[in-house]
Amino acid sequence: MASKNLRRVGLPVELCSRLAKQHVVTCQEFLTLSSLDLLRMTGRSYEDFPQLMMTISKHCCPKTTTALENKKQHKQQSAFLPTSLASLDNALCGGLACGSVTEVSGPPGCGKTQLCMMLSVLATLPKRMGGLDSPVIYIDTEGAFSSLRLIEIAQRRYSEYFACQKRLLEMTSRVHLYREFSTQHIMDRLQVLEESLVETGAQFVVLDSVASAVRQEFDSRLPFSLVQRSKFLGQQAAFLKYLAEEFCIPILLTNQITVKFNDRPTSTLETTEEPSVEESFVTTALGTTWGHSANTRLVLQFLNTQQRQIRVAKSPVAPNMDFSYTVQSSGDDDDNSGE
Amino acid sequence: MPRQVGSLPLPPHQRARLQAAGFETTDELQGIGPCQLAEELAIPREEAMGILRMARGQEGPVNYPNALQLLVEEQAEDGLLPTFSSALDDLLGSGVELAVITELCGAPGVGKTQLCLQLAVDIQIPGCFGGLGGQAAYLDTEGSFMPERLQQMSEAVITHCSRLASTKQERDQQDALKTFTPDFILGNVFYFRCFDVTQLIAQSHLLPDFVDSHPKVRLVIIDSVASPFRHGVDDAALRTRLLISLAQRLAQLASTRRLAVVLTNQMTTRIHPNSTQSASLTPALGESWGHAATHRVILQWQGNRRFANLIKSPTRGEATVEFTVTSEGIRDVPTTPSLPATMPAIPTASMFLSSPTIPTSLPSTSTSSNLILKSPSALPSLHMTSASMPPSTSASPAVLGCTAGAISIAGEKRMRNMDD
Repeated sequence: MASKNLRRVGLPVELCSRLAKQHVVTCQEFLTLSSLDLLRMTGRSYEDFPQLMMTISKHCCPKTTTALENKKQHKQQSAFLPTSLASLDNALCGGLACGSVTEVSGPPGCGKTQLCMMLSVLATLPKRMGGLDSPVIYIDTEGAFSSLRLIEIAQRRYSEYFACQKRLLEMTSRVHLYREFSTQHIMDRLQVLEESLVETGAQFVVLDSVASAVRQEFDSRLPFSLVQRSKFLGQQAAFLKYLAEEFCIPILLTNQITVKFNDRPTSTLETTEEPSVEESFVTTALGTTWGHSANTRLVLQFLNTQQRQIRVAKSPVAPNMDFSYTVQSSGDDDDNSGE
Repeated sequence: MPRQVGSLPLPPHQRARLQAAGFETTDELQGIGPCQLAEELAIPREEAMGILRMARGQEGPVNYPNALQLLVEEQAEDGLLPTFSSALDDLLGSGVELAVITELCGAPGVGKTQLCLQLAVDIQIPGCFGGLGGQAAYLDTEGSFMPERLQQMSEAVITHCSRLASTKQERDQQDALKTFTPDFILGNVFYFRCFDVTQLIAQSHLLPDFVDSHPKVRLVIIDSVASPFRHGVDDAALRTRLLISLAQRLAQLASTRRLAVVLTNQMTTRIHPNSTQSASLTPALGESWGHAATHRVILQWQGNRRFANLIKSPTRGEATVEFTVTSEGIRDVPTTPSLPATMPAIPTASMFLSSPTIPTSLPSTSTSSNLILKSPSALPSLHMTSASMPPSTSASPAVLGCTAGAISIAGEKRMRNMDD
């Protein structure tokens, strides 16, 4: 909508050509100029100018709806992808919200990729079993995806459903895997993602992980690098959010954690040993700005060798709560010993 | 249409001097200030001003609005926009102020969107309960708007109002409650999803017309103003210019139509290369944006607790208060000793119903049952206010917010200030 050509808005032709000579061709270029510049370029009078501004704004503005219509729309489409961890689903009012971006972060080995694979299996299940009955697009940047593990999760967790070989093969054929290892490739993949979603009819996208490619290519200590990194992350977040809302699907991202020292700049150590409280603290990677980009943030951490914990760090619907879970051969399971 | 100076109804000596100075038509009086004219004609400045007004065809002196008129206008407002946390309301001075821009900054997850959703419900509280009975326009740039959460908060507000209505048994309150349903509340929140800077700017141009065609809209929320500008505009100078012009349009909209405008901003990390502290969180969008809002509140975490810090306000002093976000919305932190110091992980509705801070019966003192601005004891010297007050204080609108006690304490503080 922003790149809408002024010619298509219905402006008189001589005005469009006059503006085109000054390199103002799209609505976005028109609206980002100051009023004085525009008055000079269009040659209109001060009284006529507001009308022109209104006409162009009307062609760029979003649709007017109310919250009630929004709610009705949500009800019609399946609004959530249940994670099958009952206490987490309860807290998130149903599961991963469709139309929004959920981020899962945690230390290495905590179970992020396991969660991604389990949810991929779930998404392919029919709706009566809590799935979305749709293909899944899985973008893997770490090389951690394993089809064998996917099959193992499916067989152990939904043994009756996947008892026959045909269903297993069908499920694996519905998970479209893309392996991208550099930021440029990731960006290229995201730009064609809209078309991939339309062609495959996928209703679930996983990006595992956001942090790995970015952290190896951009050094956050160099200021220019930091700017480039923020720009890349910002573009990525904007794309994903747009796709999530346009297609009304849930999108899952994974992130890493980093250790921040109080009197030294951020170190990119990934350590699983407990840092001392006064000197340093563990936090999600990619900085505060990225933290604003996801709609829902879940943080995984280790409680002891067996148990892990999911914490809801940011959610528009859920309070900040902790849940315990374990990783088993059937994927992630609720921990029965409570929260 | 230029007139002959001789045809103006002026006293003869002024007309004579004008003609002696060479003025023939009123056109020639354009572009001359009263001081210069007074000097040329050797008459006092007030008379020169009168001549100029007559030449322009204006009747009498222009009405210059003064602070008293502004005060009367503010006092005439029939309700407030509360946040449902009396600590936050007191921080901002009896709720979110109308006709100005309030900015909420905070780290991710601290509750900015929650507060915006709460305000979108609170603006609709009917007048008989002390609210404004208006509608809200919600411009969403981040996609965090969840109508299900709005429904949850509406149900809590309706329950609170029903409780008040059942204790007071007033007719207009009972009538208002019949239409005050969750669907009604959701239908009164106009939602605009702006995906990029262009859509946000375009919508901001269209807002004045929208508000004119929907005169009940009293609140405009932009959540958040930071994300499209940070990711969509690369050139810093262009970004600053666009932000400032947006702020101007919003300030004009707020002031001329007496709306509350609430914006949310993000936080960014500022590196301190030369000091002992390596980095700190600071509101995003730069220093010049800091001037745009009238009131600026930073929401922050300290451990598991949420605090709101008012860092900029022309009317209130800098202060920090604690608040919490529950399943019902934004609320105060409960202060009873039986509850643990930090909020338990799962807040339940039963805990709040039994908390002694919720009024189960209305207090009988008049100061606490009145909203602060309208309390006659708070402004003893202004007789104008009594004209806009309801005739008997006992029939005044019921108290809003969770703790009546807190509002009466704030009222006493005000009274003490007046006596100083």
